[in-house]
Amino acid sequence: MPRLLGVDIPGNKKIPFALRYIYGIGPTLADRLVKDAGLDPDVRANDLDEEQLNKISEAIVSEGILVEGDLRRDVSGNLKRLQAIQCYRGIRHRRGLPVRGQRTQCNARTRKGRRKTVGVMKKK
Amino acid sequence: MARSLKKGFFVDPGLWKKITTAQEKDDRRPIKTWSRRSQITPEFVGLNLEVHNGKGFAPVHITENMVGHRLGEFAATRTFKGHQPHTKK
Repeated sequence: MPRLLGVDIPGNKKIPFALRYIYGIGPTLADRLVKDAGLDPDVRANDLDEEQLNKISEAIVSEGILVEGDLRRDVSGNLKRLQAIQCYRGIRHRRGLPVRGQRTQCNARTRKGRRKTVGVMKKK
Repeated sequence: MARSLKKGFFVDPGLWKKITTAQEKDDRRPIKTWSRRSQITPEFVGLNLEVHNGKGFAPVHITENMVGHRLGEFAATRTFKGHQPHTKK
């Protein structure tokens, strides 16, 4: 299994798809990186030699694309900032509710998680 | 869509006047405002504002990383105290 940028080990897939296993690289960026490096998109990641792998990782570093740990830190830093300044968006993040003004009477299950059924309590 | 950069920050003219004079005189007394739509510019930093939330005024102390947000984001318009417990009659 080839290694790219230290930690990532994409599998026995064609390069554009293997690159997408790196956090922060999606379909568009993966295709572009392969094209810029002048590689054949039908070659499997296993069949790349050191030099070709280096070419891709160099492109990622030199273009200043944030991936993996750096990107995660960036995102969580943004959330922290929003929460620290007590703004509406920060509060919604803290509460785990939708941030961009969606309705919450129904739906919003992605943010709210599994339905929590509320039982009826007997009146004393 | 985001606002065009060429226009710069939007701040209500009346509020802008108060902000600039307060900064000149280094006056830290809270400024009351109804202009929730005004964006916070670097000139606001360090001031105390009171932003109307529809009912009263919410105190907001402006810090550096609030720049670019709008005043209304810091004065919640709703108070949610949680749901009533479900009780059977």
